[in-house]
Amino acid sequence: MSAAEASVSAARPAVDRRRARRRSAWRRRRLVLLLLSPWLAGFAVFFGYPLVMSAYLSFNHYDLLSPPRWVGLANYRYMFTVDPQVWTAIKNTLWLIAVMVPLQVLFSFGIASMLARAKSGGGFFRTVFYLPALAPPVAATLAFVFILNPSTGPVNIILGHLGITGPLWFQDPAWSKPSLTILGLWGVGNTMIIFLAAVLDVPRHLYESAELDGAGPFQRLRWVTIPTISPVILFAVILGVIQGLQYFTQAYVAAGVASGQASQAADVTSGNLGYPLDSTLVYPVLLYQHGFTDFQMGYASAMAMLLLAVSFAVTLVIVLNSRKWVHQGGAAR
Amino acid sequence: MSATSAPAPLVRRRAWSPGRRRRFLLTVANNAVLIGLAIAFLAPFAFITLTALMSNSQALSADLWPHPFAWHNFVDVFTKAPLWRWTLNTLEYSILATLGVVVSSVPVAYALARIRFRGREVLFMIVLIALMLPPQVTVVPLYVMWAKFHPFGFNFIGTLWPVILPNWLGDAFSIFLLRQFFLTIPEEYLDAARVDGCGELRILSTVVVRLAKPAIVAVALFSFLYTFNDFFLPLLYAGESPHHWVLSIGLSEFRSLHQVQWNLTMAATLLVMAPVIVIFFLAQKAFVEGVTLTGVKG
Amino acid sequence: MRRVRALVALLVLVGACAAAVAAVAGTSRSTGPTKLTVWVGWSARELGVFQKVVAEYDQAHPNVTVDVVGSINDDKIVAAIRAGTAPDVVSSFNSYNVGTYCSSGGWINLGPLMKQSGISASLFPAATQYYTQYDGTRCALPLLADDYGLYYNKTLFKSAGISGPPKTIAELTADAKKLTKFNPDGSIKVLGLDPFIGFYENVPERWVTAWGAKWLDGQNNSILSKQPGWSQWLKWQRSYIDWVGYDKLVKFQAGLGDEFSASNAFEVGKLAMNLDGEWRVAFIQAEHPKLDYGTAPMPTAKPSLYGSGYINGTIIGIPKNGKNQAEAWDLVKWLTTNTHALAELSNGLRNVPSTQASLTSKELTPDAHFATFLKIFGNPNSTTSPITAAGVSYTNLVQNFATKWQAGKVSSLSSGLSSLDKQLDAMVKQAKGGGVP
Repeated sequence: MSAAEASVSAARPAVDRRRARRRSAWRRRRLVLLLLSPWLAGFAVFFGYPLVMSAYLSFNHYDLLSPPRWVGLANYRYMFTVDPQVWTAIKNTLWLIAVMVPLQVLFSFGIASMLARAKSGGGFFRTVFYLPALAPPVAATLAFVFILNPSTGPVNIILGHLGITGPLWFQDPAWSKPSLTILGLWGVGNTMIIFLAAVLDVPRHLYESAELDGAGPFQRLRWVTIPTISPVILFAVILGVIQGLQYFTQAYVAAGVASGQASQAADVTSGNLGYPLDSTLVYPVLLYQHGFTDFQMGYASAMAMLLLAVSFAVTLVIVLNSRKWVHQGGAAR
Repeated sequence: MSATSAPAPLVRRRAWSPGRRRRFLLTVANNAVLIGLAIAFLAPFAFITLTALMSNSQALSADLWPHPFAWHNFVDVFTKAPLWRWTLNTLEYSILATLGVVVSSVPVAYALARIRFRGREVLFMIVLIALMLPPQVTVVPLYVMWAKFHPFGFNFIGTLWPVILPNWLGDAFSIFLLRQFFLTIPEEYLDAARVDGCGELRILSTVVVRLAKPAIVAVALFSFLYTFNDFFLPLLYAGESPHHWVLSIGLSEFRSLHQVQWNLTMAATLLVMAPVIVIFFLAQKAFVEGVTLTGVKG
Repeated sequence: MRRVRALVALLVLVGACAAAVAAVAGTSRSTGPTKLTVWVGWSARELGVFQKVVAEYDQAHPNVTVDVVGSINDDKIVAAIRAGTAPDVVSSFNSYNVGTYCSSGGWINLGPLMKQSGISASLFPAATQYYTQYDGTRCALPLLADDYGLYYNKTLFKSAGISGPPKTIAELTADAKKLTKFNPDGSIKVLGLDPFIGFYENVPERWVTAWGAKWLDGQNNSILSKQPGWSQWLKWQRSYIDWVGYDKLVKFQAGLGDEFSASNAFEVGKLAMNLDGEWRVAFIQAEHPKLDYGTAPMPTAKPSLYGSGYINGTIIGIPKNGKNQAEAWDLVKWLTTNTHALAELSNGLRNVPSTQASLTSKELTPDAHFATFLKIFGNPNSTTSPITAAGVSYTNLVQNFATKWQAGKVSSLSSGLSSLDKQLDAMVKQAKGGGVP
């Protein structure tokens, strides 16, 4: 074989290799597209398009019967300067995020820590604490409104026997959100299980070395457990905040049932959303009312845009701040 | 003379060290609190059951114990309200949606986890963003879209199809969960299959699916649970056609249909909770595994 | 893999078939008589009454069969019209949304149809004419009317030593205080009168008629702050609530039975007096026939207003996109103008007949309790609530304000009412599509 032939024959495999690589890359891309196509289609249709459309509709007056009519910033102006209920709705949602979410995280973490410590009957307790999380939200809300009825509900009756005048719970604007919080605490099963797994996962040797350093149980909690599971805490907080921003079902059902306990049935509907006194009027409920009861779809889209902005902002704030106190794996120090 | 002949020394237990005593007290306190909380957590269930067994007038009064026990309430709910219809609708929605979620999310999660391609991280970011967005943001245009879409004169509003169909095109939460799990599959398994000459799709359907069975079961369970309890979207789309109501809507409207017969409402509530609780007991391990998967690797 | 693919394909096929079958079923037309679907708000016993009357129409018109669906409320009607799934004929218990229905064209303009059939609006009493049209477009017709008066429990009156129903607000307050009985622990045992807005039929529009206050001026601007009747009513309400005790009232109210059940607070004697509609007569007849009660017009602030009350009523119309508009109109025409039908319905439902002719029909069975309401209906001072483009949100906003006021959350009534006026005007403007003034 001459040198030229040898170089040619050496070059051919290189070309073949490159061509083969390109072919396999192309095949890979085709495969990826195939696998991703349903989701990409779904994303475009059920996410991308509505998002763009929502932004567009927010500048229009649209009631679904006549075509959308451009009104510029009128919806936003109405929302920020005139709508008497928007600020209440924002405050209510923020209340839930500021009060209910931290309480839920603390409560589920507390129960998980205690469960981790308990040796006997752990499985039984775990089931008991998880069970309410399985209850359908509507059913659970109905049950709680009934149980917390200020005059005929078991809770106030038992409190009465103990000599305490129970509050008006869902009938009192000062107590309606706390009542929803209690309902929320009842259902922390999911977060609790996550915390339990995380706490049980903390390496033993970290506790042992802390104990050797003379740390008591609470100090171990503060300096070993919490830092080690901090990613999980972050996750729980983010999840809680996201759920808080979308909180709809319990507020809607509770307002409807609590007000309907002694008021008009089939006559004027939707006048009772947020009962009592707009205290349970969370932002998604108001959005639903404006969009689907009043059929002010342009205005509801403007509200949706605000919700979008707030969701982004809040998630961003949490994630950025998380670097400060979340340990990414490894031992605590 | 005192016979100080020392008797046989009594066996004396050594007093507990302060550390041991403190640990014991802590354990007692721990268990006491747990028991107290467990009672508090179970109490609502007890109240619901007791009310479900009362007569209507008793349920409205301040009585705590049914007198007599109205077992027939559980039968009455079926005649007083179309509970079967609602159950069928709910099952139709849940089963179809769960199937769709599993079938469409697995390939996507696999691609995001195991196949290297440009823009993979960006796409995953987008999945996360989709997860974080409240549904209320997109709900208005989606409703308009379904209201205006009339293929062959078919009306989507008033049915459950607008809620079911999107699940067949992937679900962000399930994709996220499955991707996290797929990341844990060692590359060696996949390489071994590749060496055997399997195409990527074969690998996915045979090797990966089998390895990821617990994650897939968890995703299916979550999907089923979520759709079984879903209220907002079915309310939106099927709210004004009672024929298509799901259990959550039916339960909340029960009161206006039947003028707040709380005993029946509570009985219906129990019946609605029952299947979910039964499924939980049968699939406990998968549930807990699934919940753990969500958070710990997060 | 092939198995999975086959399974997926099968599922998709099944899904598509189901959709197709549903679509076909939805659009196929039966080759028999035209099927009309009518949506009404009535349910249970009342629905039965309506169905019986409709059955007469069915018999007399073999070319149509009428299917009646009950328990409909405005939310459902609005949603169905938007989605294009509305039935042939719709009816609503109240007229609050007429403004939206007419101005958006959701309910078709009945004017041309009326002219064609030679039906003039003067067939209907003046009040009912007002709340079935908006801005010159009549898109609804009245189907029986409602008016409101005072129900009082004669047994409780006797034991409290009160001889007759109160005629003035002062008498009302005095009687209510006398009739209210407390338990030893301070909670309410029997309540003379429930003043809470949001309770049963208590909404601002039905109470404020007693003070003769108006809602709108000639230019359709809100004048709640300028009409003394509004603040007089609200101040009176607050003073009575303070006398009983706000928390006590809330607690008592939470334990009361549902309005349309047999445990209705007035019917079981927990409430001595109650503002209620004329249909309550039929309910009491059916559920508590032994109740010794009386009916009278609501007490008023000015003696000249006594005998008047609040009027509203069920309205009926034809939604846009309905398929059988001609047959639907025939049915609507019959239901709203046929004296016999209206008399039958009035007797069964104890609602007020809504044409001049049926008001004096011989077929109406006389009833002493019900007669009060016929008189209230005919009183020239009886009024109804405003019809605006904002629909039911208009009065809802006022109700919202009233509930805040009764809880003591409004510091200055006059400034509260002024901002309420501004909000109401802005809301109407927004509903019309103009945004913020």
